[in-house]
Amino acid sequence: MLDIEIDGKALQVVEGSTIIDAAHQLGTYIPHFCYHKKLSIAANCRMCLVQVEKAPKPMPACATPVTNGMKVQTHSEQAVKAQKGVMEFLLINHPLDCPICDQGGECLLQDLAVGYGASASRYQEEKRVVMNKNLGPLVATDMTRCINCTRCVRFTQEIAGLMELGQAYRGEHAEIMSFIGQTVDSELSGNIIDLCPVGALTSKPFRFSARTWELARRKSVSPHDGLGSPLIVQTKHDKVMRVLPLENEEINECWLSDKDRFSYEALNSPERLTRPMLKHGGQWIEVEWQQALDYVAHAFKDIAKNHGAAALGALLSPHATLEELHLGQKLMRGLGSGNVDFRLRQSDFSQDGQGTPWLGMKIAEIGSLDRVLVVGSFLRKDHPLIAQRLRQAVKRGAQVSLVHSADDDQLLKAHAKAIVLPSQLPQLLAQVVKCAAELKGVSVDAAITALAVSEKAKAIAESLLSGTRAAIFLGNFAQQHEQAATLQALAQLLAKITGANFGFLGEAANSVGGYVANALPGADGLNAGQMLAEPRHGYLILNAEVELDSARPLQALAALKQAATVVLLSPFKLPGALDYADVLLPVSPFSETSGSFINTEGRVQSFNAVVRPLGETRPAWKVLRVLGNLLNLPGFDQDSSEQVRAEVLGAATPTPEFVTDRLANPLSDVANNVANNVAIKLDAGPNGLERVADVAIYSADVLVRRAPSLQKTRDAASPAARMNAVTLQQCGVSAGQELRVRQGEGQAQLFAVLDAGLPDGAVRIAAAHPKVAGLAAMHGAITVEAL
Amino acid sequence: MLSDDAFKKIDREIAKYPADQKQSAVMAALAIAQDENGYLAQETIAAVADYLGMAPMAAFEVASFYNMYDLAPLGRYKLTVCTNLPCALSGGVDAAEYLKQKLGIAFNETTPDGLFTLKQGECLGACGDAPVLLMNNKRMCSFMTTEAIDQLLTELRADLRGQAT
Amino acid sequence: MGALTAFFKSLFLKELFQGLAVTGRHLFVRKITVQFPEEKTPQSNRFRGLHALRRYPNGEERCIACKLCEAVCPAMAITIESAEREDATRRTTRYDIDLIKCIYCGFCEEACPVDAIVMTRIFEYHGEKPGDLYYTKQMLLAVGDKNEVQIAKDRAQDAPYR
Repeated sequence: MLDIEIDGKALQVVEGSTIIDAAHQLGTYIPHFCYHKKLSIAANCRMCLVQVEKAPKPMPACATPVTNGMKVQTHSEQAVKAQKGVMEFLLINHPLDCPICDQGGECLLQDLAVGYGASASRYQEEKRVVMNKNLGPLVATDMTRCINCTRCVRFTQEIAGLMELGQAYRGEHAEIMSFIGQTVDSELSGNIIDLCPVGALTSKPFRFSARTWELARRKSVSPHDGLGSPLIVQTKHDKVMRVLPLENEEINECWLSDKDRFSYEALNSPERLTRPMLKHGGQWIEVEWQQALDYVAHAFKDIAKNHGAAALGALLSPHATLEELHLGQKLMRGLGSGNVDFRLRQSDFSQDGQGTPWLGMKIAEIGSLDRVLVVGSFLRKDHPLIAQRLRQAVKRGAQVSLVHSADDDQLLKAHAKAIVLPSQLPQLLAQVVKCAAELKGVSVDAAITALAVSEKAKAIAESLLSGTRAAIFLGNFAQQHEQAATLQALAQLLAKITGANFGFLGEAANSVGGYVANALPGADGLNAGQMLAEPRHGYLILNAEVELDSARPLQALAALKQAATVVLLSPFKLPGALDYADVLLPVSPFSETSGSFINTEGRVQSFNAVVRPLGETRPAWKVLRVLGNLLNLPGFDQDSSEQVRAEVLGAATPTPEFVTDRLANPLSDVANNVANNVAIKLDAGPNGLERVADVAIYSADVLVRRAPSLQKTRDAASPAARMNAVTLQQCGVSAGQELRVRQGEGQAQLFAVLDAGLPDGAVRIAAAHPKVAGLAAMHGAITVEAL
Repeated sequence: MLSDDAFKKIDREIAKYPADQKQSAVMAALAIAQDENGYLAQETIAAVADYLGMAPMAAFEVASFYNMYDLAPLGRYKLTVCTNLPCALSGGVDAAEYLKQKLGIAFNETTPDGLFTLKQGECLGACGDAPVLLMNNKRMCSFMTTEAIDQLLTELRADLRGQAT
Repeated sequence: MGALTAFFKSLFLKELFQGLAVTGRHLFVRKITVQFPEEKTPQSNRFRGLHALRRYPNGEERCIACKLCEAVCPAMAITIESAEREDATRRTTRYDIDLIKCIYCGFCEEACPVDAIVMTRIFEYHGEKPGDLYYTKQMLLAVGDKNEVQIAKDRAQDAPYR
């Protein structure tokens, strides 16, 4: 510890602290622009100059390490004079356009100019003008306003992982730009808007639409990925105007992925459903709530009476709130049907009833891991901020290994990578298990010991065993895999051998909540896959576009089309549902309802509505509750979502509360399951071409699919058939050619794209897009022919 | 984009640094690329960056920072006249003016025949020899009086003719 | 002594005659009452009457939707909505002043960085039904267009004191 005196106040700071750290510890504000607690120190704005005793010149507080006995004056005459001088220089080239600047009112330069700026400029010469850059559909630029603090550059370099922005040229000509003609395509790009201390980088969707002082700030929780980032939703006149991160060091730190930040545009989409609708003689008519609900109650009662309650099924969404999922399953069970599921993209359900998949640790602990194995995950796109945490861990010396079917650049230096066909994933993982078992001297199943071990598997096993805090995570791709249970068994066995933490990277905001709410098939019930494979007479769908969100889109569509009654609760007029549904009930998106999400680390985050429901939209939990009343089911008399939550989680729960005691990653009986699963499936060799399906980041759920700005990004490009050179040659096609892709009974027309990161024999086609809804399944054999 | 020969030269530069710090060779690599192509096109910079395992923007930062890297095509002979203070006091400005008049171009322009490009340069470290100019980043020409300039231009034109025949 | 003075004062009605003297004097002084509406009082160039939105000489509206007038308005009489126009400039899509709420303090004019919202000399206006005094952007621009000469003259006159 070092002793330091700031403005006459003595304190102790840890060695290696800078003056600005010490000042923050004391609560003293030192003006600054380029300094940011999460970024490296650049010390190029010079705004934080302070007077240090015995130093001949003012020193930058952000870059000056504290020495023992240092005496610092932050607001002495010399310091203030230096700061005012710096401010005068900064304002020389800064345009006087605050009235048309979106940053006006929340601008660091504006604020500090009030304290340190002169009332008039002494600068008579011509001001500098910098051409604006096109950074893509999310970030607007006014580069003349830039003060070259390089926060955005350091962000893309250090946090987002790829230096997409840089400071080109020099001196007065220095400007921040992307590599000529390129846009910023990072999935975290929106953060540079928050970081920019001036109005040089602003939000394009929000551009010129409101002022910061007219917006109400309300807390909410992101409904997208498993992280559940806390949000500040800013509203005006009951309309969501923009979304900012709510800082929480344990979840999102101070960042937000673009998906969470810009998906709000969908909330104001013209596709919103505002009144209940009934299909009457093939025509959609708007009706009153009462009529629509009566219709639903009658239809369900009829089906239950004529075909048995098992003829009903509920397909819920992992993006729905805990309360909605609870009431949804309660409604189905009340009617006597156990057919409830929310895991629409899962295809292997053999682990059901054995636990609740979750991260297995705190999100905040990811940063302190030193050995990580991620199995089957499009990490950056599926979990942008968890990927960011891993990236920081790698910088601190952690080794991250990847086992996957596509070698996407995760923008972190992977220690070892094994990229194999989806069908080979279990075998590869088994090789790692074998290797680890040998190194540890543990005996494993004969089916595993019989395998030949590849170099990569060996490297991964060695890496896992060499650390002190290791973790193995299964990504979305592994959870959606046809042999998800085998992968789980092997990963868990590996975790047991290596002493690593075992966990799942939750796919959606409430993937854990669905389990906690028991929105799962009972012993006699059918799971999502079965419900669609064995068509039901009546379906209740909550907030899902089943023909896109399901593991087998074709089968799903057929099942829904044949059903007598399909009731859809959705905030949107889903185009597919207009065809197969019979009743459309407008329910609130996350911004218009209270509810809770349980994120992948088991943290319960409850939130309130931030705006009033649009039109006749009602919160889904209320709709389900009233449906329960109309069906005369017991236990549907809750008055608030808090009561519903209490029903699931127990009496009044403080937030945040962890439900980790209720979670347990599946497969307690590892050895048996491995024996059963592995022996049967490990020898499955490649058989023709195999599909690798990712769920593209901006088509993952109903909300993001309708966010126009996100849909203009490169990540939202229409799906293509991606293959490596060998596979292209094998199919006799070339990149850029239009192909007919057949899978099962379905087909799609796609362009061939060369992707060197795929194993031989893999055809990567993104799922969850209308263009590929004609393909049978997210995995399995596929054929390709030139058109 | 770049010849194998150029990449071999770049490899030699890379070898001077630790294996995990390939990007240390970026300046040398860009210089090699420029020698080969005459200037640094966007694709060339991207190729160099890719070869060194760094972001293209990081290489562009370097290429745009130093004024001896040229980001646009030039004439056959680039004449960089030093206009810093010591040179300016000893006739550097006059030399530049004379060149402008003689070639009929301003700074950063190329003669219509594509032969000469005139540039304003920073200190070349030979203030005692002022006025100085640099030809194609490689050849230093000292004491550039009007006669010396005339002689240089004649020589370069003759040299070109010699090459043509 | 005091009582005696008071007695004589009241006996000879001194205060009454003092008052009548004022009246009498004013009988012969020039009258200052104006016969409104035939006659009008002179106005200051800083008169704060009906609002107007101004344009530049080339016809472009001045307002850039900075919303400072909306923020400064103590009566919350101004409602603005803004958006990016096709030419990428910041413009209002709605600029309403509720004249019933307005207290004519002139803060909006003072806050305006581009002299877009101004207060004119017009004070004779009325509304006959609810909503008539809710001025929209088009109405305010029309007021400005009609009175631009006077508005410009007044601003020019006041310029040295700003």
